Amino acid sequence: MIYIFKELRRHKWRTIFSVTGYALATVFILLILSVADVNKNDSYGVLQSTGTHFIVYIPTEANLCTSNIANGSVFAEGVKTMMLDHDMVRTIRNVEGVKDAAACLQYKMFDGVFQSEVSIAGIDTSSLATRTNVLAPAHVISGRYFSGRPEELLAEESFAAAHDLSPGDTLKIFGGKMIVAGIVNSGIRPVKADFYAPISLVRTILKDRLLCNAPNFDMNIILVEVADARVQDDVITRIRNMMYKFAVSTYNCYQPANRVMSIIDRSSIGLTGLIFLFLVIFSAKTQLTALMERFREIGILKSLGWSDSSLAIHVFLVSLIQSVAGVTAGVLLAFGLIEFLGHLDNPVFSSYSFRLRFGTIPLIYALSLIGAVAAGLYPAIRIFRTKAGDIIRNHM
Amino acid sequence: MNNYKIECISLNKQYKGRNVLITAVRDVSLKIEKGEFILLKGRSGAGKSTLINLIGGLIAPTSGKVTIDGFIVNQLNNKSLSNLLLNRVGIVFQGFNLLPTYDIYENIEVALAPRGLSKREIKKLAIPYFERFGLSEMMHLLPEELSTGQQQKVAVIRTLIRQPSIILADEPTASIDDITAGEILELMRNLCNEQNVTIILATHGIVPETIADRMIVMENGKVINQ
Repeated sequence: MIYIFKELRRHKWRTIFSVTGYALATVFILLILSVADVNKNDSYGVLQSTGTHFIVYIPTEANLCTSNIANGSVFAEGVKTMMLDHDMVRTIRNVEGVKDAAACLQYKMFDGVFQSEVSIAGIDTSSLATRTNVLAPAHVISGRYFSGRPEELLAEESFAAAHDLSPGDTLKIFGGKMIVAGIVNSGIRPVKADFYAPISLVRTILKDRLLCNAPNFDMNIILVEVADARVQDDVITRIRNMMYKFAVSTYNCYQPANRVMSIIDRSSIGLTGLIFLFLVIFSAKTQLTALMERFREIGILKSLGWSDSSLAIHVFLVSLIQSVAGVTAGVLLAFGLIEFLGHLDNPVFSSYSFRLRFGTIPLIYALSLIGAVAAGLYPAIRIFRTKAGDIIRNHM
Repeated sequence: MNNYKIECISLNKQYKGRNVLITAVRDVSLKIEKGEFILLKGRSGAGKSTLINLIGGLIAPTSGKVTIDGFIVNQLNNKSLSNLLLNRVGIVFQGFNLLPTYDIYENIEVALAPRGLSKREIKKLAIPYFERFGLSEMMHLLPEELSTGQQQKVAVIRTLIRQPSIILADEPTASIDDITAGEILELMRNLCNEQNVTIILATHGIVPETIADRMIVMENGKVINQ
């Protein structure tokens, strides 16, 4: 062992170059992986939640929410629906891959004041699935979101414009007096209505004001939010398998998102693989060059009676020590550099949030050691297979 | 009790040149008894160094065999060959083959290290040799900082200090002054006489034939006189 460290010390510059090479390669790899990781995470942040929502309902021909006062029905996407029990939300929430599920009660009826069909969607205002499928506070364009006061409605912008509605207007509608708290534009959503109200209010409207006759007044639509676009197909299949009558309506933008994420995944794996391959090749090349340079000395030692196995161990250890030292220096350097770049007020670097991927460090060590061992293999084989005199003669 | 005998039987060695096959040793057969001092003479390129390397097992013959004490050197496995070189055969190389990044004391140290000697034991063995060859003050210089003659002395020390039973010396006095050369030859002669060491000393220069028990002359790879 003493000769190994002596060897490294004696060939000071070669050792320094070798260790520096490893260190730079490690820094380079960690920085690249850091940037790739941040990019991937940022992209995923957007793509994972792209189109990851859908609605579930059971279409039917019959009107299951009849009333003598109003000529209306519960509906979804233009068709009449069955009423669903509130346990169904809990069941769907427990389906693997579902992030959130919420109840929605959507009803439409002919209104004499507006002289047209008017729809209202009762929503769970605190639910994530509601925000993605129906409406979010951010969609308020004038007035305010629900404040918890009774009889509050939000009017869809197009309906409000058609009927000249403004925040604060009082309407006599759905069997009672309602106040327009705000105007919203929720964009294209699976659940669209002319008015939105808390689901408890819509239940009261149907049950107590319009005196509808229905099996229950829990909901007619379940709003679902999926954890990741990549599992959305599986979630839909699982829910369909729960009840064959379920209609699932989703915007298919999760599919391109899914594909883009798959592309990113593949690119990321490919890039990481290439980088690690580079590390193995680089470490093998670095060590092989260093070892071949001192092969004549190995021949001399062999002629002095050093056993082949002790010389091979010597070769491997020199190689391994340099790779471990280089990677360690590289990790420390990368850590320092990432910290430095993170605090640098520079437009080039400030757009990246560098993060050290600690999980890759053991892999970098392992691969550099593989490279070092791979580099030592050829000289070791030559030590065993070549006579001392031939080594000395061929490496003058 | 050592009873070494070196025997070369129909020994041939060919090297591949760029476009030709070079025969360095051709059909050499000879026998050397234990404790014999052989002077191997011949011009440059006669095949002396190749023969020395073949006997020491440093290169493999193209055909034929070398035996030391009945063991076929060119058929020994790596471990046995290492043992032979470590414990029985010492080689003084024509080009010295010193380790350039080790100082001359360390060059001696690495030759003894595989025997498992302690640092103190190595020092005890080495110092008298350095004193005898006038290198005491230079022990911590690198080989390149020494003259050619001094380097050759280090190469000789490296072989002698291991007290081998067989010394294969390839031009060991070529670069040394006459007085030191005389001392080395006398030392070798004494080793031969007192410790029954077998010595083959290859030279193309002027070495008194009287120092040896026998002279073998080579020319164009062949032994022409023994």
